[in-house]
Amino acid sequence: MVMRSAKNIHYLQIDHRVKRLFQEKGVVILPSAEAWQKFTWSKKYFLKKPKEGYFIWIKKQIDFPLFACISIASKNIQQELGNLLVVEKNLNILLRGACNTLKKNLCGIHKAEGKIVLKENSSLNYEHIHSWHREDIVLPNYEFLLEKNSKLDYTYKNLFTPKKLKIKTILNLLEEASCNLKMVADCNFTETEIIDTLVLKEKGASGQIQLRLVGGKNSKILAHSQILARAPCKGHLDCQGLLIDKSSSISLVPELICKNKQSQITHEASIGKIEEEQLNYLRMRGLNEKEAINLIINGFLGI
Amino acid sequence: MKKLEIKKLKVRANRREILKGIDLKINRGETQALLGPNASGKSTLAQVILGNPKYKVTQGEIFFESRDITKFPPEKRAKLGIALAWQSPPVIKGVKLSRLLKEISRKEIEISDGRELLKREVNLDFSGGEKKISELLQVLALNPKLVIFDEIDSGLDLKRLEKVAKIIKKELVAKKVSVLLITHSGEILRFLKPKVTNVMINGKLICKQKNFRKVLRTIKKYGYEKCKKHTLSPN
Repeated sequence: MVMRSAKNIHYLQIDHRVKRLFQEKGVVILPSAEAWQKFTWSKKYFLKKPKEGYFIWIKKQIDFPLFACISIASKNIQQELGNLLVVEKNLNILLRGACNTLKKNLCGIHKAEGKIVLKENSSLNYEHIHSWHREDIVLPNYEFLLEKNSKLDYTYKNLFTPKKLKIKTILNLLEEASCNLKMVADCNFTETEIIDTLVLKEKGASGQIQLRLVGGKNSKILAHSQILARAPCKGHLDCQGLLIDKSSSISLVPELICKNKQSQITHEASIGKIEEEQLNYLRMRGLNEKEAINLIINGFLGI
Repeated sequence: MKKLEIKKLKVRANRREILKGIDLKINRGETQALLGPNASGKSTLAQVILGNPKYKVTQGEIFFESRDITKFPPEKRAKLGIALAWQSPPVIKGVKLSRLLKEISRKEIEISDGRELLKREVNLDFSGGEKKISELLQVLALNPKLVIFDEIDSGLDLKRLEKVAKIIKKELVAKKVSVLLITHSGEILRFLKPKVTNVMINGKLICKQKNFRKVLRTIKKYGYEKCKKHTLSPN
């Protein structure tokens, strides 16, 4: 989803400065360093004392999506974010997040340590969009904690990859919690490493990891996805790559670890190419080669 | 007025000659049929008319509305008004038929049959009949001047076939669009009554006949080879 204007944004940070902090009834939005001081309980969730980043605490049901946006606008900025999102019990929340550099040649570094906590019976639909330039380095590290019977739908989209992207995501699911994690990246001129771990800790937990990775020009992609089943639970890994340029490579490493005989975990992984027949078919419908390739890529990525 | 004219066309693929000197003319608003056994080169001819780069034209020319299109890329031919309904169209994963139609449409079409296909990914798990309906919808959306239907009648039951033929008649034939019906069984010819029926064997057109019923009878009784006797002079 596109952030049309700053008006829609509840948390806006540019470089190291918080530019907009929009309070809504039932939602506490603060710079994370301030929240660390104000709410003692938050310290158990922050991995370390945060310097910058957002703290969003949703206490009551809201009927609109929340937007958080963190950008780099100046040259040689190195962000070190500590983000925390907490959704209280029985709430259904929509969150849209965007992280980006606003122009090329900024050589930005975006490091993020984040935690997302879904309390009992809550649900979160979170779409996280990254958009970078060829000179940037991006190192996000997110941990999700899904308490009993909570539900997460998380989509991470990166359609403009940085020079280096290393993204780590860990999902810890408690009893009857469920998640659907979708990671989508159209990789060009990048070294991208994606590490996902889904830990099904308690009975009845279920989750799916879906990867859709396109190896465009000069890209090296490594994706290591793991499901660890510790209790009677269900999990599925679906990793797919589409290699479209001879200068690129994709490595998919799906891993299943089962520590409970009643759990059922499965995986599928494939790396394909664009078939000539598909291209010719679309060209015979009047699309030129570039338009046909874009349509196939967008279809593959589900965008 | 000639819409399509093919002169002495020879085509190779994988070092094998598939079309061995084809001459064919289709006039504006005319419906013709092309019959032939499996692997005789019918589908290759359709793909070559649309410019599939997999096939190499080694001799001859293809004219569309008097323009030499032999070296045109497929998209240019499509934009000129040539459309092909594929016999076995490929799956385009993740792309819904509605989205593809939106991307390619040059005119709005009324969709009575196949509405349920719009939400599905193009050709993914489509039955034989569904593929034909999807192809027909795409072809109509292109607002073409010449349509080649490659085995549109295979995989359709009689009721569906009649319906498809009705749509072709109403949306294409009645609007003076030229139609080439490639068919193995000849089922659809009963509904669309082509003006000329061609028979292809081993990369050559061996027969051109005005009476399609006569051709079908001959094929049924004696096989394709016997059609040679019934050659008409080219129109």
